[in-house]
Amino acid sequence: MSPDVLIVGAGPAGMSAAISLAYSGARVRVVDEQLAPGGQVYRALDRVSTAYPDALQILGKEYADGAVLSDAFKTASVEFSASTSVWDITGGKRPTVGLVKDERAEMLHPTHIILAGGAMERPTPFPGWTLPGVMGVGAAQTLLKESGLVPKGKVIIAGTGPLVYLYARQMIAAGAPPTVIVDSAPARVPAALWGLLLKAGLADFGPLNKGRSWLKHIRAAGVDHLNGVTEWKAIGDQSVKGIEYRRRVGTRRLECDLLLVHDGVIPNTHLSMVAECSHRWHPLQRYWAPTVNAAGASSQPGISIAGDGAGIEGADAAACRGRIVGFSVACHLGLIGREELKSKIADDQRKLNKLAILRSFLDHFYRPLPSMQVPPAADTIVCRCEEVTAGEILKVAKSGCVGPNQGKAFTRCGMGPCMGRYCGTTVSQIIADHHGLSVEDVGHYRIRPPVRPLRVGQLAALD
Amino acid sequence: MFRRTRQSAEPVGSDLIKFRFENREILAARGDSVAAALLAAGISDFRSSVVSGESRGPFCLIGNCFDCLVEIDGEPNQRSCQEPVGEGMQVRRQQGIRTARISYES
Repeated sequence: MSPDVLIVGAGPAGMSAAISLAYSGARVRVVDEQLAPGGQVYRALDRVSTAYPDALQILGKEYADGAVLSDAFKTASVEFSASTSVWDITGGKRPTVGLVKDERAEMLHPTHIILAGGAMERPTPFPGWTLPGVMGVGAAQTLLKESGLVPKGKVIIAGTGPLVYLYARQMIAAGAPPTVIVDSAPARVPAALWGLLLKAGLADFGPLNKGRSWLKHIRAAGVDHLNGVTEWKAIGDQSVKGIEYRRRVGTRRLECDLLLVHDGVIPNTHLSMVAECSHRWHPLQRYWAPTVNAAGASSQPGISIAGDGAGIEGADAAACRGRIVGFSVACHLGLIGREELKSKIADDQRKLNKLAILRSFLDHFYRPLPSMQVPPAADTIVCRCEEVTAGEILKVAKSGCVGPNQGKAFTRCGMGPCMGRYCGTTVSQIIADHHGLSVEDVGHYRIRPPVRPLRVGQLAALD
Repeated sequence: MFRRTRQSAEPVGSDLIKFRFENREILAARGDSVAAALLAAGISDFRSSVVSGESRGPFCLIGNCFDCLVEIDGEPNQRSCQEPVGEGMQVRRQQGIRTARISYES
């Protein structure tokens, strides 16, 4: 039986939305690709707590605190489907969700769909980023949560953003500090941002203080922290052996066994794009995000979007967004009244306003690195799947190609199994730059179903 | 490249899973993904790429990048970061371009 509301993603936004809707009396089903709820931020929390609590110590309070939300989710009257992928979403009068689990595909027709697909690490095209031993900082943290894995040997972190410092602190707690952090952010907050920093501090000094303590911790552990790095490449043949980075005028080479990279996170937009929701370009953080109103409603009837999948705001804000979207959908379905909705979401709206002040500072300070937006070296692989370089994209742009969809026909760029998740924005930016257009003018790949791997046999098993 | 924390390194009883990667026996913990178990065993070369044949390994570990594709029990194109380990599993390195395998069983 199709539920009233189907929620995609069991991170903070999805769990909060589900709890709010179940409380309001809706029949709710939540699907997620992972084995357990939690999303990326609270991934495998139960397993870590019971099977290897030493990793819980390493991960720290921010992670352990996720238990409050995930425990509430487990006791709520919600149907949860683990290890389930979503391969199609359609909005409109009769919303449709295509699911696949094990050998069975399934089509559901819920009354309403909430997308809570969260974020992914921003793709970081630089020479050598496809070598084994190069991976995301978030990817390494996933291994710590999922299996208690800690890096060993010489580890270099390249990039910037709060996750870099959080994970470095976790590595230190595990007794395996990184040898160097090659940081693309400036060492000090530039004068132009003092106003934003002051506002953020006045709104809530807590998060800034936490960030400062992470940095202090990293310094005290003797980690070499180099700010103002502008470009780098990975060195190696079969696997990564080192990094060559450019800072100020000089380049320097360092050896490593593992290179962890991070340039912030961006929304996972394949589900909102396959549903043909309208999207906007975030000019500062340089990502696509679906257009939503204050209640999380997308441009498609029957589809709402909550959390980082609608724009990066962080886990705490995602939980607020989840409750607001959940209760708003409950109101839309006639399960609660307008007055009840207002009182239920008032606290979350206040909290979001406060968090937005901090986010504004973070968005301005941790800017995406320009050399990762339009790679300066022509031989940099842009499309990891089909191995298409920045130079090849530029060549087809020069020969008159004006959009990423046309680019596919010339280069196969974006036609591999990741379906453009890792090259989409880069390709659009290279083409836009060449023609002197904005990324919004150039647009993004058209995303078509299935957006997750689906075998013909699984599709044939549809009723 | 990676080691386990002390407590995660000691799966016992039914939590200990044994499987094979190529001809090597891998010890893992129940609940590990295939990718995590291989990385913990010091393996980072999971496949050869489809155009140049270069070595590739896990990059995102959340099912988005498709760089950790392996063959599991004869089934190619499996995202090893999304597949939990199973006792007696046969995992192979995925070689080059993907092929469609058609069987005519009714």
